[in-house]
Amino acid sequence: MESDFQHCIRCTICVENCPVFRVNPEFPGPKQAGPDTERFRCDEETSLDKWIGLCSQCKRCEVACPYGVDPAEIILREQLTYGEKHFRPLANRLFANNYYLGAFSSALAPLVNTFASLRFIQKIMNVVGLSTYMPFPGFYVHTLRRSWRWKGRRNSSRKVAFFYGCFLNYNRPDIGRGIRDLLASLGLKVVMPKQVCCGLPALGNGDMRTARKFARRNAEILAGYIDKGYDVVYACTSCGHTLTHDYPGILNVPAGKKIAENTYNLNEYIVKLIEEDHIDPEFGPVPLKVAYHIPCHLRASAIGYPAASLFEKIPGLECHVLDDHCCGLSGSYGFKRKNQGTAIKLGRTAAAEVRACDPDYIVSDCGACRMQLGHFADLPVLDPSEIIIRSLIRPAKTTKK
Amino acid sequence: MSGTYDVVIIGGGMSGLMAAIPLAEKGRSVAVISKGDPVCCLSTGCVDLCSKGDDPIGGIESFPDHHPYRLVGVEKVKESFDIFQKIMIETGLPYIGDCHANRKILTPFGTSKTTCLVPKTMKSASCDPDEYIHVISFNGLKDFYPSYITSGHVNSGCSIFDAGVSSTSAIAERFEEEDFLQEFVSWLANLALPEGKIAFPAVLGIRSAMAIFNAITEYLGRDIFEIPTIPPSIPGERLFSSLKNLFLEKGGSLYWGKEIASVEKLNGRIEAVTLSNRGRSTRVQGTLFILATGSFVSGGLYASMDDVRETVFNLETYLPGERENWFNEDFFIPGHTIEKAGIRVDSTLRPLDSEFSNLFVCGSILAFTEVMKYGCGHGTAIATGVAAANICEELL
Repeated sequence: MESDFQHCIRCTICVENCPVFRVNPEFPGPKQAGPDTERFRCDEETSLDKWIGLCSQCKRCEVACPYGVDPAEIILREQLTYGEKHFRPLANRLFANNYYLGAFSSALAPLVNTFASLRFIQKIMNVVGLSTYMPFPGFYVHTLRRSWRWKGRRNSSRKVAFFYGCFLNYNRPDIGRGIRDLLASLGLKVVMPKQVCCGLPALGNGDMRTARKFARRNAEILAGYIDKGYDVVYACTSCGHTLTHDYPGILNVPAGKKIAENTYNLNEYIVKLIEEDHIDPEFGPVPLKVAYHIPCHLRASAIGYPAASLFEKIPGLECHVLDDHCCGLSGSYGFKRKNQGTAIKLGRTAAAEVRACDPDYIVSDCGACRMQLGHFADLPVLDPSEIIIRSLIRPAKTTKK
Repeated sequence: MSGTYDVVIIGGGMSGLMAAIPLAEKGRSVAVISKGDPVCCLSTGCVDLCSKGDDPIGGIESFPDHHPYRLVGVEKVKESFDIFQKIMIETGLPYIGDCHANRKILTPFGTSKTTCLVPKTMKSASCDPDEYIHVISFNGLKDFYPSYITSGHVNSGCSIFDAGVSSTSAIAERFEEEDFLQEFVSWLANLALPEGKIAFPAVLGIRSAMAIFNAITEYLGRDIFEIPTIPPSIPGERLFSSLKNLFLEKGGSLYWGKEIASVEKLNGRIEAVTLSNRGRSTRVQGTLFILATGSFVSGGLYASMDDVRETVFNLETYLPGERENWFNEDFFIPGHTIEKAGIRVDSTLRPLDSEFSNLFVCGSILAFTEVMKYGCGHGTAIATGVAAANICEELL
C-alpha cells in the first residue's frame, strides 16, 4: 500500500475537510473510517463496517492530510472488500455498469428521456434505491462516438488521443465536439480512441472486478497510442483522476504507470503547449463573470487549477475560484437514495457559495458538479473549454507555429 | 506566463499565505504549493506575538539576536501585524488587539491563554474568576469541557443545547442554517439568564461566523464570546480558509499536492520544483522561491534518530547538539531545546551556506524560532512571511 495508515498522527485535519461528516452523523469521518479502523482490519475477516459506503470518495481528506496518509483510499479498499463479501444493492449494480446503461439509454434516447421524467417511473426508481431529487441527465442518440468527424491535421508533431469519458459521450456530445475543434484549432492531430468507461463508477460502487475489466481494456488501447507518440488528454476530472491515480494505484493495471505519465488534463495540456512555445494563441475577450467551482477530483490531481490560469489570460473575464466545497453529488453517490439527504445539503451549501458571487455562469470541469450546482443554484453551467473556445475560436484567430 | 511564476511559495500555512497575499496584491504572479492543510487549522485561531509579559512588542526587544523577530526588526514586526489586521478586515473576519498589549482568553479547560490578536468572536473573553459568565455547550460535544470552566468561575452557570449532532464541525455547519440559528437563539432567550456574558465553544458557524456572531449578540443584547475547542478547531479553519480564499481572489494560483518530488537547479538558482504524483510530476517554475513549510509537525523538518533534515531542498539545518540534549526532563515545561532546530538565515531571509541565490525562508522552519518557549506562534509566521514578501518585491 502506498499510503501507510501508521503515519496518521490523529490531527483531525481530514475530519475538518470531510463534507459528509459535516452533514451526516452516521458517518464517523475519514480518520475513524480510515486509519483508525484500519488497525483492526485483516485480510481474512469479513468487513462489518456497513457505514463504510457513506464515504463519497471526494478525496478531500487525502488532499488535506499533511502526513501522506490517504484515508479515502483506505476507505475505498474497505468499500471494495465490503462489496465483494456482501450482496450489492441494485442501485450499486446499476451505477457500476453505468457504461452499458449509457449505451442503452443513448440508443433509446427519446424514449428513455421521456420515461425518466415520468412521475410513476421516478417512484419506481425511488423504490429500487435511486434518488430523483433532480432530473437525470438527458441522453443523445448521436453520442460523441457516433457523431465524431475527423477535424484538424492528419499530421502534426503533436498528436492527441482524447479520452472523452461517458458523460461527454452520452450526455454532452456537444462539449466533446467543441473540445475536438479546440484542439484541432491549436494545430494538433486529434484522434478519439475506442474506449470504455474509465472504471470509476464501478470502483465507487464496490465492484472491483468490473472496474479492473474496464481499466485493463482502456489501458491496452491507450498504451498503444502512447507508444505511437500520442499524449492522452481528458476533460472530465474524475475520469482523469482515475487514469492517472487509480490505474497505477489501486487498480494496478499493466501499463498504468505509462498512462499516468502521459495523460494530461485538457487545460493543463494547453498551458503546457503555451509554455513550450508550441502555440501562442491570442486570447480574445469574453466579457463574463463566472464562478469557477473546482471539482474535488481536480484538487486531488495535484496539478493546480490550470483552467484558472488560462482564464487569467482572457480579457474581460471575471473569474471567482471556489474550492472550499464538494458539490455533494460525487458521481453516482448522490443518485442513491440513502445518500440523498447528504447530497442535497452539500449541494445547497456549494450552490449558496456560487450564488454569492452573483455570476453569469457556473464553470466546472466535472459534468456531475455542473448538474448538481446548476440544479441548486439555478444558473447556467459551462465546461471551461466552452469559455476557452469563446475566447480562442469565436472572436479571434489563433497563431500557430 | 502561467506555470511560470514570479514567486513560488512552498507551504500554504500562515507564513506562506502572509507572503503570498501582499505579493498577489501587487500584481505579481504567485503560486502556493501546499501539501495538505496547514497546522493553522489545528490552532486556536489566535495570533501570539510574544506571550511573556504584558507588552509583547516590548518583550521581543529582549529576544536573542538570532531570533527571526530580531532579524526582521521590531518596526517591521509591528508593520506586519498592521498588514495582517488589514487583510483580515478585507476577508470579513476581523482580528482585535494591538501589538503593544497582550490579552487573555479562556481555554476549553478553564485555564487562561495569553495571546495578542484574537478573532472578534473572542474579543469579550473573560478570565476574571469573579465575573459571572454563562457557558453554553452542546449535547455530546467531546472537545469542550464546560464543567472545568465553571469550576474556575465561582459565579457561573452552564446550559446544554441539543443540536442533533455532536462534533464541532457538524455543529458549526448547523449554525449556517437559518432555521437552526433561529431555534437556537429563541432557546437562549427563553433561558432568561442573569446579567453577564455568555460563552460558547467556537462552533458558531464556519463561513458566516461573523454574521452569526453578530446576530446572536444583537438578539441577546449582551456580550458573547467563543472559547476555542481542542482540535478540530473551527477558528483555525476559518483563519486558514479566509486567507486562502483572499489569495485566490487576488489571482493567486494554488497547487494542492503531495511532497515536492524534485528540484531543478541552474547556475546556483532554483529553476523549478515538481510535485510528486503517481504518474507524471507537475512542474512549477519560478523566478524566486519562498520556503514556508513549517517545522516538525507540518513536515518542513524531519527528525530521524540522530539527525534533522529539511525536507524540500535539503538545506543545511541547525541542530542543537546531540539527541540526548533535544528534550527537557519534564515534558510539560515548554521550550525543549529541539525547538531551536531549523534553517539559519541572514537578514534578507536567505539560508546561510546555501547554494541557492533565489531562495528565501520564512515561518516556523526558521532556526531559533522556539514557538513554545516564547509563545510566538502565528506571530513569527506573519512577521517573517510579510518580510519575505517585501524582500521578493524589491528583487522583482
